[in-house]
Amino acid sequence: METYLSELPRFVDQIRKIREIIISNIVLVGQIPAPTFHERHRAERLLERLSDFNADECTIDDYGNPVGIIRGTAGDKPAIFVVAHLDTFAETQIEQNYEVTDKTISGVGVSDNSAAVGVLASLPEVFRRLELVFESDIVLVAPTQCLGKGNLNGIRQLLNYWPTPVRSAVCLESVELGRLNYYSAGMIRGEIACSIASASQSGHHHAPNAILVINEVINAILGLRLPQKPRTQIVIGKIAGGFNHGKIAYDARIGFEIRSDSDRMVKELYGDIRDIVDGINKSYAVEIKLNRISNLNATALRHDHPLVKCALHVLKRLGVEAECEPSETALSIFLQNDIPALTIGLTRGDNFHQDGAMIEIEPLYRGIAQIPALLTVMDNGVCDG
Amino acid sequence: MDKSWIDTNTFHHSDFKDIGRLLAAKHHKNVTISLCLPTLNEEKTIAKEIVIMKSELMTRYPLIDEIVVIDSCSTDKTRQIARSYDVPVYKAKHILPQLEKYTGKGENLWKALYVTKGDIIVYIDADIKNIHHRFAYGLLGPLLLSDRIRFAKAFYDRPISFGRNIYRATGGGRVTELVTRPLFSMFMPELTQFLQPLSGEYAGYRNVFEQIPFHIGYGIETGMLIDIYRKWGLNVMAQVDLDRRVHKNQDTKALGRMAFVIIKTFLNRLKKLDCVDIRQDVFDEMIQYQLVEDHFQPEIHAIEQHERPPMIQIPEYTQKFSQTK
Repeated sequence: METYLSELPRFVDQIRKIREIIISNIVLVGQIPAPTFHERHRAERLLERLSDFNADECTIDDYGNPVGIIRGTAGDKPAIFVVAHLDTFAETQIEQNYEVTDKTISGVGVSDNSAAVGVLASLPEVFRRLELVFESDIVLVAPTQCLGKGNLNGIRQLLNYWPTPVRSAVCLESVELGRLNYYSAGMIRGEIACSIASASQSGHHHAPNAILVINEVINAILGLRLPQKPRTQIVIGKIAGGFNHGKIAYDARIGFEIRSDSDRMVKELYGDIRDIVDGINKSYAVEIKLNRISNLNATALRHDHPLVKCALHVLKRLGVEAECEPSETALSIFLQNDIPALTIGLTRGDNFHQDGAMIEIEPLYRGIAQIPALLTVMDNGVCDG
Repeated sequence: MDKSWIDTNTFHHSDFKDIGRLLAAKHHKNVTISLCLPTLNEEKTIAKEIVIMKSELMTRYPLIDEIVVIDSCSTDKTRQIARSYDVPVYKAKHILPQLEKYTGKGENLWKALYVTKGDIIVYIDADIKNIHHRFAYGLLGPLLLSDRIRFAKAFYDRPISFGRNIYRATGGGRVTELVTRPLFSMFMPELTQFLQPLSGEYAGYRNVFEQIPFHIGYGIETGMLIDIYRKWGLNVMAQVDLDRRVHKNQDTKALGRMAFVIIKTFLNRLKKLDCVDIRQDVFDEMIQYQLVEDHFQPEIHAIEQHERPPMIQIPEYTQKFSQTK
């Protein structure tokens, strides 16, 4: 273990020496808009960059996932995956010209997840500079359709068709450095939409108001009892509705997520929310619909799994405090497929999903140094057997 | 008028995307290349320009030998940010300090001739939001792959950035269409074939740039085109389509002052070439009006018209370059 840990300062120095290449990749790939289900242009740019940096095989698969493979030296070892989701929350038409200063990179989507995708594009050059070769094939993938309604479809499909066993995986997130995810909570993400029939809208000041109906739904959800164990949470993360200040709202919707260490608890709570919606449907005589948009099962690596221990050692040697939380990302799909995997964060940032999203450049070098260190231990068999 | 130039000497940047080929041509010609970025308060864009050019055309392909920033005393962090990416940064006033001091983009470009070393110099404005290395290799392509072309100028589709997130699909080039093109049409119609004569990106051989005068301000592009055209003819010149360039929008009054300088530069050139006889004083003040409360108040802008002589006439320059040769 000491061998790869002692290499970390060299990794950081060498990575810093190619900062212009890394920043260029973040900018040139990240500036291409890639809302979920419309990632094609960014996928093509990423593939072009991977090819420019001499990844051995580059392709976009049938599901739109750009894939670059660095061939390993041993033909018989299963592949190791490095993934960074390609899609962002930003709309296609939004200008995405990034700003770079001496300390930061800012622009739409840079912290979720364009910086990580730019780093992914730089990895062939990082490995070349560090003179690293691996026995396993290293598969660099930026899966599409990960966010929201995408429901991690890109990585699900990729692992479904991948012809050979997968040894292990590292998932990259732009932020936050120190993030170490090795377990996923069970999760269901849903939307509740209320709409008032057009016949009830015109001229009736006392017609049902969709916002007030949705408010009833929210109050009812907040009234649900959540257990302390298994840890369970309901987040109401999105809301929209109405037309203008003085007009009764004839549509309104919320987006919510149920998370729990227990899949059973997630299902039960989803059933409770369905009952709430049905009840309000009947009481208010409005059209209110519950729609499940994605779900994941709870899954985990043990906290004493050798890979988790190695990742903690790496962070400690880099002087970074580890923060271990559940993560509902591509990690879940790897773990569900019995593939040991981690999610790591690469740098610090701010305003993740807002205007003015930015990441810091300096911590990025330590963040990236985790990748060759983890790939080295994976290639040495830490997850085998 | 030779109308065929636009067909034979107009290129697209993608014609030169094989950077390995450009590199081979550079070695074959045994030339060095400098990139100059003139700046004035460009803290939002300078780093990205340096980073991308360094990454793509220095680290990955050693096409460019040096990047130099020449700054007009920016009051923001432009110089600090540029230095953090390990490129030489000069204040224009510190170059050839014994000469009378002027401020302007043209001054920076002229002084770049003194501090750069390359046989070919690429000038790229430092305010480009969508910078890409095509801006440099696109301009270098005709110079490296042709033995005839000595100067290449950019043109592009010019969306204009309005605030944070919205841009129009076309636009820009108003001064070109309202001022420069009419003047060229009247007096030098061959030059109308330059689709964007005022574009701020161009590249050329040192032995071209050092032999022409440089207007210190907005007149630099107009003067440069006319001078190269008169001295060597249209055939040594080329233009390259660089696709899209997103830049800051300027208000109409600022464009008016720009137009003033361009017209003045043009008239000076015509006078020097004995093409026109102006029998009255031509003033150096642009007068604009704005409504203040209930009356129109004049805003008088003194616009100095200075021009640097060909750099080859500067003794320090000839001494420096005779030593390096």
